[in-house]
Amino acid sequence: MPFPEGMQPDRTLQPMLSACDGESVRRDWARIRPSATCGIVHFLRESGFRHPMDQSVVTATEMPAPERGAPRHRLDAALAQVNDVLVGKNLAVRMAFACLLAGGHLLVEDVPGVGKTTLAHALAATLGLSFRRIQFTSDLLPSDIVGVSVFDRESDSFRFQPGPIFAQLLLADEINRATPKTQSALLEAMAEGQVTVDGASRALQQPFFVIATQNPLDMAGTYPLPDSQLDRFMLRIALDYPNAEAERRLLTGEDRSRMVGRLSACLTGADIQALRLQVRAVTASPALLDYVQALLAASRRHHEIRTGLSPRAGLSLLACARAWALLGDRDFVLPEDVQAVFTGVAGHRLIPSRSATREALAQALLESVAVE
Amino acid sequence: MKPRVETPPGTRVVASALGALPFNLLCASVLCVLAAHAPHLPAWYTAALAGLLAARWWQRRGRHRRVSGWLRLMMLVAIPVVVTLVYGTPLGQQPGAAIVCGLLVLKVLESESTRDARMAVGFACFILMSALLFDQSLGSTILVGAMLLPALATLRALEPGLPERGWLRAFRPGAVMLAASLPAALLGFLLIPRLDTPLWGSPGNGAASTGISDRMAPGDLQHLLTDNAVAMRIGFDGAPPRAAERYFRGAVLWDFDGRSWFPGVAATRRRSPVPVRILGPTVQYDVTLLPSHQHWLFALDVPIDEPDAAQMGPDHTLWSIQPINQSVHYRVASATQYRLAPEELPRAVRAAALALPDGFDPRARALAAAWRAHSGGNGAAIVRDALELFHDGGFAYDLEAPPLGRNSIDDFLFDTKTGFCEHYASAFTFLMRAAGVPARVVIGYQGGYWNDFAHYLLIRQSNAHAWSEVWLPGRGWVRVDPTAAVSRVVLAGTGAAGADVAGDGGNWWLPWQDRLDVINRWWGQTVMGFDTITQARLFRPFGIDHASAQILGIALAVVVFLALGAGALLASLRPRGKPLDALARAQLRLQRRLARLGLVRGSSEGPRDFYLRTAAALPGQALALQELASEYLALRYRCCEPPPERIRVFVRRVRQFRPRRVVK
Repeated sequence: MPFPEGMQPDRTLQPMLSACDGESVRRDWARIRPSATCGIVHFLRESGFRHPMDQSVVTATEMPAPERGAPRHRLDAALAQVNDVLVGKNLAVRMAFACLLAGGHLLVEDVPGVGKTTLAHALAATLGLSFRRIQFTSDLLPSDIVGVSVFDRESDSFRFQPGPIFAQLLLADEINRATPKTQSALLEAMAEGQVTVDGASRALQQPFFVIATQNPLDMAGTYPLPDSQLDRFMLRIALDYPNAEAERRLLTGEDRSRMVGRLSACLTGADIQALRLQVRAVTASPALLDYVQALLAASRRHHEIRTGLSPRAGLSLLACARAWALLGDRDFVLPEDVQAVFTGVAGHRLIPSRSATREALAQALLESVAVE
Repeated sequence: MKPRVETPPGTRVVASALGALPFNLLCASVLCVLAAHAPHLPAWYTAALAGLLAARWWQRRGRHRRVSGWLRLMMLVAIPVVVTLVYGTPLGQQPGAAIVCGLLVLKVLESESTRDARMAVGFACFILMSALLFDQSLGSTILVGAMLLPALATLRALEPGLPERGWLRAFRPGAVMLAASLPAALLGFLLIPRLDTPLWGSPGNGAASTGISDRMAPGDLQHLLTDNAVAMRIGFDGAPPRAAERYFRGAVLWDFDGRSWFPGVAATRRRSPVPVRILGPTVQYDVTLLPSHQHWLFALDVPIDEPDAAQMGPDHTLWSIQPINQSVHYRVASATQYRLAPEELPRAVRAAALALPDGFDPRARALAAAWRAHSGGNGAAIVRDALELFHDGGFAYDLEAPPLGRNSIDDFLFDTKTGFCEHYASAFTFLMRAAGVPARVVIGYQGGYWNDFAHYLLIRQSNAHAWSEVWLPGRGWVRVDPTAAVSRVVLAGTGAAGADVAGDGGNWWLPWQDRLDVINRWWGQTVMGFDTITQARLFRPFGIDHASAQILGIALAVVVFLALGAGALLASLRPRGKPLDALARAQLRLQRRLARLGLVRGSSEGPRDFYLRTAAALPGQALALQELASEYLALRYRCCEPPPERIRVFVRRVRQFRPRRVVK
């Protein structure tokens, strides 16, 4: 060995190597690392010793101070708060935050009663955003969403009555119960952050974040979302049933709606905007871009996929991976970040040519592409 | 993405459990092995093993209780014992096959891990191939090749990455590999120097299996006459001989002990063949004789020259020095109209041709004496008397001949009056000798089926026949077929000596059967008949008359070298990915070293996931690995243009890193 084992400053490694599901990895490292060596390292560093390799190591503290600090700290608190309400759904909550930070919209798909709406409520309360909820039904009309111009007798003119879409966090509950026409009313708002009524475009307040929930398509009374609409959701997640331990906590714990009512805002709209800027600054090296491109290319020539991933999907994938890296307290993207968000980003965009499930296809794509 | 294999620190990788799909495929492979060996193992034995396999499949499918180790141990002991009891010995091909089939099923009985299954598949492949020791015909070779597919599919299913319901997908790689290996197999077949005798020429696969033997007792030929297996194929230069002349001479039997006929000393005594006077045109023809495990070569009555590596006996039989253990190909000339030793019969030969054991068959002797007295010693008249007896005496041709007592000739002639060729030939020759006419028994084949598609004569084992030859003054040895006097219709019809050859009669599928037999003939001549001599002649077109083992080896090396060169050229012409930089090379070097410890990185496994896994598996070097990994990740994914100096440091550190596994 060129220098004594354990020379490496330990603090710097942990955040850098921490995996997507941080807990388990931290546990792993804690088990592996002999505590004695940490002392040596500490001693060496304190005595001003720096190995040539040391400079290469990226330390979390070396990140520019203004970008770190308060929002980052509050982000962790926000994550913890939502995780408190949604027991045992750490990965899904993290995904939702990644989607928010990447500037996308979230689609939550699962059977009724697993906590879709609770997630949206908890997020709204935690993020401190103005919150509106639309319950989609089969007789909902586009004007019910975007608003309508009514004639004002006093001013002798039409006055725009804004619809519920004029909010920062919009929960579109059971979106696939509405007709495609109504679903499409969300399109412009989601893509461009503005709505156009009677020829006048009105900008929505930023950040604008849509959480849509939908029931699985095989349930009665649902209209499948058009592919174009699906493509506008950056991430699709499923909540799934809780495991036994989480379910027990759920059964014995406090009523969730009361918990949500008690939540306080951990972040502000400005914090979110600042964090979104940080996400955009996360480094994606040429090697990583190669990997993303290889995934996109593989999706377009896979024999079981009728329509591969669009360039928009590629942008979403990269943005999500960046946000994921930031949530992992890193300022550069690793292939593992891409892999962590890939199924969520690509799953609903792949159109299979045969009966294979979209998730299985996404997994097969991941396994078919080599990582450097 | 999570790594597929989680290895707890400091422990070896334990064998993983066997999934349902690989297990089902394994059962299918073993069933194929049993099917391939079924033709030469007792039916009850195969059925018992198949039943055991089915029970195991049912047990695992229904998650019932497993067979205990004690019971398996008892079966392990029982199988060799049972086989020894059945065959009388545990040695030899058939007992060996029976034992290994049993052991294979026992292995499936205890297979619960992928490691077990891999071993069982390897074993199954070996046993499957051993089925070719018994039968190397084209059909069985193709069948055994196809039966390899389930075994290869099992191996594929044992690898990760196949969905539970991937039956068909599991078969594809094996089929592709099998097809891709054909050129290599052909190359090896042509160029690997072969041995004169097969390696597996073990004792115990003797003459009992097929073909005419060199002794004849009543009932001996019965199993042959119902055997539809091909004995030989004969291609004639000109027109084939008439149906009545299609007698193919094998062995001549001189000595009679009251029950059986033997070649006797007269046949083996070193003398040149008796002179033959040719009366008509001669016939030239090629014979492909399938393994008979005997020394006799068969030729149209009567051969007038001898093929290479064979010699002609004094009674015009062809005798090969080596037993015919492999398919042989030879060329002979025969005369169908001839006089064999017409002038005189040496005294010793005459004595041998008249010898009869004392104390047997008094009634037949009395009848012969009566004929002799009646005809005044005229041989031709005595022959006529005998044939009239067979024709008018109420004799019947029947393969189900009743058993005969001590005086077998008397019993047959006067009581049962039912039998087939060997009964008639034996009785006729006895009567002739008793009446003072020199006579002997000839066994061989008679008739045959003319393949009109490819113009050759197909002789089956069911064409086996026995007839007599009597010596008449001035005419020499004359062929007399006493069976013909009884069952003339059968002989004139299909040509077979009364065997069940109904399939040869004018059906619509007959032309297809002809074509199929042409393929079998090609296989027999070209593939099975590819022996040391044919191999040595392989390079005649290149001016090398006799290719020695060295020349064959050099040729093999040259072809392999050229093929590898062509493959490398093709590979170099294909578009390649971007070349590896120094960082990637160093990381590959690190991965190779870790792979030697069993820590293999999946191609789609993320680098950080991989190094976390390796650090967990190598706790003693976790820190060193952490350093290397974090440096690699920083250089590869944090910097857009990593500084060369840092890459050099990284490369140097990778070179110095030696991963070691410490087993607790």
